[in-house]
Amino acid sequence: MAIPAGRADSAPIARTKEERRRFLPNDFWRFVLLCVLSVIFLAPMYWMIITALKPENDVISTPTQWFPARPTLDNFREVLTSPDGNILRWMWNSFFVATVFTVLHVLLCALTAYPLARMKFPGRDLIFWIILGSMMIPWVVTLIPTYLMMLKFDWINSFHALIWPGIAGAFGVFLLRQFFISLPKELEEAARLDGANSFQVLYKIILPLSVPALVTLAVFAFMGSWNNFIWPFYVVTDIDKLTLPVGVTTFSQRYVTEYGKLMASTAIASIPVLVAYLFAQRYLIAGLATTGMKE
Amino acid sequence: MRGVASMSVTTPTGAARRPARLGDAHPLVPYLYILPFALFFLVFVVYPVGFGFYVSLHRFDLLSDTQPFVGLEFYRNLFDMSTPQAQFFWNAMKNTAIFTVISVPLLIATALGLALLLNRPIFGRAFFRAVFFLPGVLTVSVMGILWRWMFDNQIGLVNAIQTELLGGQPIPFLSTENIAWIPIIVGTVWWTIGFNMTLYLAALGNISQSYYEAADIDGATAWPKFRFITWPLLAPVTLFVFVTTVLASFQLFGQSLVITAGGPNRTTQSAILYITEEAFSNNQFSSATAMSFMFGLVMLIFTYLQFRIMARDARGEA
Repeated sequence: MAIPAGRADSAPIARTKEERRRFLPNDFWRFVLLCVLSVIFLAPMYWMIITALKPENDVISTPTQWFPARPTLDNFREVLTSPDGNILRWMWNSFFVATVFTVLHVLLCALTAYPLARMKFPGRDLIFWIILGSMMIPWVVTLIPTYLMMLKFDWINSFHALIWPGIAGAFGVFLLRQFFISLPKELEEAARLDGANSFQVLYKIILPLSVPALVTLAVFAFMGSWNNFIWPFYVVTDIDKLTLPVGVTTFSQRYVTEYGKLMASTAIASIPVLVAYLFAQRYLIAGLATTGMKE
Repeated sequence: MRGVASMSVTTPTGAARRPARLGDAHPLVPYLYILPFALFFLVFVVYPVGFGFYVSLHRFDLLSDTQPFVGLEFYRNLFDMSTPQAQFFWNAMKNTAIFTVISVPLLIATALGLALLLNRPIFGRAFFRAVFFLPGVLTVSVMGILWRWMFDNQIGLVNAIQTELLGGQPIPFLSTENIAWIPIIVGTVWWTIGFNMTLYLAALGNISQSYYEAADIDGATAWPKFRFITWPLLAPVTLFVFVTTVLASFQLFGQSLVITAGGPNRTTQSAILYITEEAFSNNQFSSATAMSFMFGLVMLIFTYLQFRIMARDARGEA
């Protein structure tokens, strides 16, 4: 043990030393470039925050204040108590809709992906290819007919319109089927011998083993619902039922050039996603990296 | 469930087991699992396509009880350049094409560039990656309002730099034809670069170092290594990134709506922005549906490629 360990230790050290000597100037400039790019990428965020903290007069005054001379929270106070719409209400609406949608979508996709991945029955492959093939339908084609259906269902200005139409998304079935197929058959067979029925196999074996895939799908579903813009923009117009992205645009139409208030509203709207991103970053990046990447 | 319970107390012979599992092995069981999804799928995925086609062949009016059949009239209108619909539609298609042609190479090249910068270990790597990905979590309206303010005609950050640090005249970005694309494209790059960068980073991580070590022995420099090792090995990811980015660019809507409202003079009005105007502002649902089918036909080329990529994955593991 000792000798191979010693060899294994010395080899990387020698290599890193060599690499360090060779790459130091290169890495330094790479680091500088990354810092410059980071400043450029963060500049809009900085501009948003300092604008939100300036009194409206200072926002439009020239020369530009690169840092707020008289910082104030007035913009935030006015946005939060605005008579033109309750931004916290919109945030709650978005959260509620996205949560219900995510739970139902993941459940529905798991129930569908399970027999497609783990059972043999006539028409299985045909059903799978029909579902996968539906991804070829450009959603713009269904936008207007679905809107007309919402009119008929009397779902305009209802959360039903924000939850149900997107629930049968093919991508979720695809993602979970791929994951379920990759699970070893032995555990399932053992459970079968112990007398478990197919549903017990699903929720006692398949689902617990699939937590990473389920979380990835849930993160995608939640983000998709939370960020959905064009559909809620047309299907919900009642000011109390707006979702956050749409609500914020009503502010942008009302406070056209009152950028202090506008930036306070966009800052408030950004806080939950930025916090969520810090927690879900791992799943988001892992999920992104596994979609459509295989050769 | 009852079958399971009874089975455990009976003798575990094949004969006793078979009737116990019979309920579960019923040939309809797999279909029952799929049934709930299938119902929603039929109502909200399959039916709308057929219904949409029906609407596009009729004069659909919400205020009228009858919907007379007009055949392909609304499709023909799109090729009769004397109608405002045809003019606005093809103008919007042209705008969408311009946006796609400019933004897609930009979104691929910048994302690949960032991924190459971040691929090898460097101090603060996780921080940089988070910074570049961060804008992507913002919702499109927040991003749009932010960039409208960044490129404000007089006093946005860009014009503040232009006038106060560079000593120039303010440029009215939002109200000048052609130049109005700059806020939309810059904002879109800022907003979406992190997704493609993440895909490229994952793919770069999967390239075996042995290729580069072999190239080092041959004395290869950075460019040939990129040109003959990295780039070819990234081809599958580049295809995927290309298809998804083209599809996203085709669907330009929020940025146009919030940053420029399609202006000035409809020069940044995207196809979807015009289709929704025709449907929801003008209440011309049939005409708008015909347009969405025309537009969908163009998109089909790329959704088909997307399907092919996923089908390859599905077959690979099946």
